[in-house]
Amino acid sequence: MSLDVTNLKKVFVVGLFRRKEIQAVDNVSFNVKPGKFVSLVGESGSGKTTTAKMILRLLRPTSGSVIFDGKNVWDLKRINELRWYWKNVHAIFQDPYASYNPLHKIDRILYQALALIANQNTEGDSVVKKALTEVGLRSNDVLGKYPHELSGGQRQRIMVARCFIIKPKLILADEPISMIDASTRASVLQLFSKLKEEYKTSVIFITHDLGLAYYISDEIMIMHNGKIVEKGSPEEVMDNPQDPYTKRLREDVPLMYSKWIGF
Amino acid sequence: MVPPIIKDLFKIKKFDISLALFVGIMLTGVFGSILYNVNPLAAVGPPEQPPSDRFPLGTNSWGRDNLALLLSGIESSIYIGLTAALISIAIGVTIGVISGFKSGLTDSSLMLVTDVVLVLPSILIMMLIAAYLKERNPFFVSIIIGLTSWPWVARAVRSQMMSLKTREFMYMSRMAGLRDMRIIVEDLLPNMMSYVFMAFVLLMSGAMIAEAGLSMIGLGVTKGTSLGIILYWAQILEAVRRGLWWWFIPPGVCLVALATSLLLLSTALDEYFSPRLKGG
Amino acid sequence: MNTLALGLKEVERVTLLKAEGVKAYYSIRQGYVKAVDGLDLVIDKGITLGVAGESGCGKSTLMNALMMNVKLPLHLIEGTIALDGEVISKMDRSMLKKKIWGVQASMVPQSALNALMPTKRIMDFVRDVIKHHLNVTDSEIVSMAKKRFEELNLRVEALDLYPHELSGGMKQRAVIAVSTLLNPKLLIVDEPTSALDVSTQKQVLKMLMELKTTGITESIIFVTHDIAVLRQIADYIVIMYAGKIVESGSTEDILHDPKHPYTYCLINAVVTPEPEVRKRGLTSIPGEPPDLINPPGGCRFHPRCVKAMDECGSVEPVLAKFRGNRLVACHLFK
Repeated sequence: MSLDVTNLKKVFVVGLFRRKEIQAVDNVSFNVKPGKFVSLVGESGSGKTTTAKMILRLLRPTSGSVIFDGKNVWDLKRINELRWYWKNVHAIFQDPYASYNPLHKIDRILYQALALIANQNTEGDSVVKKALTEVGLRSNDVLGKYPHELSGGQRQRIMVARCFIIKPKLILADEPISMIDASTRASVLQLFSKLKEEYKTSVIFITHDLGLAYYISDEIMIMHNGKIVEKGSPEEVMDNPQDPYTKRLREDVPLMYSKWIGF
Repeated sequence: MVPPIIKDLFKIKKFDISLALFVGIMLTGVFGSILYNVNPLAAVGPPEQPPSDRFPLGTNSWGRDNLALLLSGIESSIYIGLTAALISIAIGVTIGVISGFKSGLTDSSLMLVTDVVLVLPSILIMMLIAAYLKERNPFFVSIIIGLTSWPWVARAVRSQMMSLKTREFMYMSRMAGLRDMRIIVEDLLPNMMSYVFMAFVLLMSGAMIAEAGLSMIGLGVTKGTSLGIILYWAQILEAVRRGLWWWFIPPGVCLVALATSLLLLSTALDEYFSPRLKGG
Repeated sequence: MNTLALGLKEVERVTLLKAEGVKAYYSIRQGYVKAVDGLDLVIDKGITLGVAGESGCGKSTLMNALMMNVKLPLHLIEGTIALDGEVISKMDRSMLKKKIWGVQASMVPQSALNALMPTKRIMDFVRDVIKHHLNVTDSEIVSMAKKRFEELNLRVEALDLYPHELSGGMKQRAVIAVSTLLNPKLLIVDEPTSALDVSTQKQVLKMLMELKTTGITESIIFVTHDIAVLRQIADYIVIMYAGKIVESGSTEDILHDPKHPYTYCLINAVVTPEPEVRKRGLTSIPGEPPDLINPPGGCRFHPRCVKAMDECGSVEPVLAKFRGNRLVACHLFK
């Protein structure tokens, strides 16, 4: 699998009379190889979520291209082409509550994913059960329940279970652990590692948390004002940052093993 | 067996009272006409009689039984209210859903149509259509009212659609490869049902009042009767000035009670649903 | 009841806030949510105390109780709270408004940023605070505000702006500045920087430290789930779980030598961009957060504790002195 993002741009136009242009994503280029964890790190407003939506083919870029396995994603128009794409590139979003339709049981999130894989209804139940086991949940505990009846951690795990059903080559995880309790975060992160080990899944982590990015990524990309200002391995970015924004970020992140100077 | 939402709704006093009032009057009309077996449009006694044992609400200027007229009028007004509301809801929701979901050119053109209908003075339109149709049965009157009352529903439904469209669960359904129609039916409409229901109740209330309005200017039903028609004749034949209260007070009270009970019902629903919509 | 005393050396210890046996419950249809369930706390002057725990542990409720900001459905079931020697748990609301809130103690709650009236300028908030307590002319109020803003390195122009015209960080700093205009001895801030980016967060934290160095306020209680922040600014840390304090001690001790199993997991679940974190790995805690209507019997953490022993399910551990000024509530350390 290969993902090539080239010169991606997104301009939002706001206002009725005085049209103002907001350059949300400004000439972003990068690529992702199989089985690699890449983090797109930036504060809110840096353009990282917009970039993610464009890669997921949920938002149309103003210019630039997203090429997956040699195909330009915006050339894919028919429903079976789109299904092929989303079987290979999938997403896990930040808010484990908003990702579910509150009026449906959580089963739907899992069963609707079966449409993307070859064997459907006959073995559907066992596929779903197996996926839930992979993420450490028991079917009896979660199937048949509504989203509000489960905890944030459980909901997020079910989202990951969906990925265990689909087994995409690439996952875009938008702040996958920021809205769940600290005590369950590590176990959800481990699930991503499991996907990587078992299926060589690549993950693009979208996050503001430099610590998370440092811990889990093979490569970090720092985004600021719609541009990628720094690219490199976690050690390179933290030990030898080139860009002033990265340097400032590194200085301002609260650390556990050293104290800020002059505080 | 009963969905919890229904149980919860019945716990609200406002809901119970307003629903009881509306259903009470409606059933009086429906069963009353059957039990009180008098032809409302036939002359059955001397004209302009005050209430008596034989004619509990007296008679009107043509010797028709006022009580029979009232019961038939209740049925008719509710029928018109219901039908007009159904027509408006159907048009409003369809346009709102398509407009909100599709956006772009489709959205702009649909909203243009909506705005035009919104801005047109509905009374004049209704008058024009009504005057053109010499024979107006209750169904036609419903259509007239239904075709002019939907714009606000379309706009409101469209806003809801637009805000729901960017919720993450929408993305999850899209990425599961579901077709648009399925996403609309399975994901979006259920989340709007509470609003649609409220809009329906409000439309019904408005339609009954609109019917009375049309009737008061002589453009109501020509076949049968309705609360508005009764009031129209009462006014034309100076029943008000002459103090023939048994003619116009009962239908007036019933009309107000029906419309108000529906309005109350819609506020009860609003109170119940709003915190939920926000809480999520 | 073992009081938790945090502070300076024995001879210099001056207590600012003393809370004993605090029980604060929320009344709901199904019963009581025992958000804070029997807790003692002592804070000395000159200290920054960090209160850490995950969502639902009761830390925000505790702050409301300490400030005596107890509005239905929150009830202060039991407990005595004394601020600088004065018992405030017996005061009624109007007394608290007049003598305590803003004057002796101030709290900036979690959603303070969103609670600002959008039609009032910052200067109007200043007026609200000062007029309630002092009898001074408007020009005196304005000069007080300007002086304080300059003292804290805040743009004086911000006083004439509306809340929506300020950035998140500036808003937060303005709110803190206005809350401390009358130099309250105690300042409580509840998750003041969670919604801010790291650089803005550092600015706000810097300002909080300045409040102490300039003497505007004496002690600060900083409530957060972000332990790395506490590492940078707190002298002492209190760890809460299911309405109880499970451990407390100096920041150094808590972070580098956690004793209570929950504390240990919490510290090792923190992820910062440091090679030590990579080496150490991340811990997670099995199970689900506790039900506060019917909390587990005995030690509240026992269903999720890898070191749980037999008595943990039936006997509640007491928050007892471990070593020096460390307190731990765990049967492992009796």
